[in-house]
Amino acid sequence: MEKLTLSCGNGLLLLRYAGEITLEITGELKRQLDEALRDDSVQAVVIDLSGVPFMDSSGIGFLVSINTRMRSSGRSFYLYRLSPAVEKTLGLVQLLNFFEILKDESALAALGG
Amino acid sequence: MIRKVFRTISHPGDSRRLAKDVVDFLSESLADSDTLHDLDIILTEACANVCRHAYGGQPGDLEVRLGVEPGQWVELEIVDWGKGFGPDVRFENPGPESEGGRGLYIMCMLSDACRVTRRGSENIMFIHKDIGRSRWKS
Repeated sequence: MEKLTLSCGNGLLLLRYAGEITLEITGELKRQLDEALRDDSVQAVVIDLSGVPFMDSSGIGFLVSINTRMRSSGRSFYLYRLSPAVEKTLGLVQLLNFFEILKDESALAALGG
Repeated sequence: MIRKVFRTISHPGDSRRLAKDVVDFLSESLADSDTLHDLDIILTEACANVCRHAYGGQPGDLEVRLGVEPGQWVELEIVDWGKGFGPDVRFENPGPESEGGRGLYIMCMLSDACRVTRRGSENIMFIHKDIGRSRWKS
């Protein structure tokens, strides 16, 4: 999956995906993330959404599932740099205040990313 | 009045392409990118619903019937011949921790009329979206 990059350091897993997040891709994204989360040292997941030109409700479900998984195990989950399309979709379902959102690089740096 | 029918098989990749094909066709008439994005989301959600639910997760026939009244509105019928929506069809926004069930809510939010019907063996998701004259190509 060449559009996906995962980088890990200081207990923070940063997932960047450039492309549409729809039913077509969410299964594979979940599989890749599950593999990365086998590393018990991961305390927080950050997903960079700046390169996502389109996201549907499957993508929303994917983000909610990671949030639930991380929070239920006492870990953290952040959205980072929402693209306009992602912001619109999350706004439609009133989830912009549900997720913790990092707006820029300084917010990410404060987490140690 | 413009009418056009698009067909594919309800596999996730093919369904997304079908939605894009319809939006590409509409972009010949519509100038407003935000409106085209709304229609892209509506179509993608409707086609994904067919993929997930209509044929028990198996591929099946999927059709989009498009009606366009230039300068006024767009109507969509997303049609399958599967098991149908059943009595528990939900148009409400589920709670924030729900992982699914938002597709119909999103379609309704982005349209002016949204309903599911059964006509013979056809299950039809009907969408009507009014679009102001300034959003059309002249």
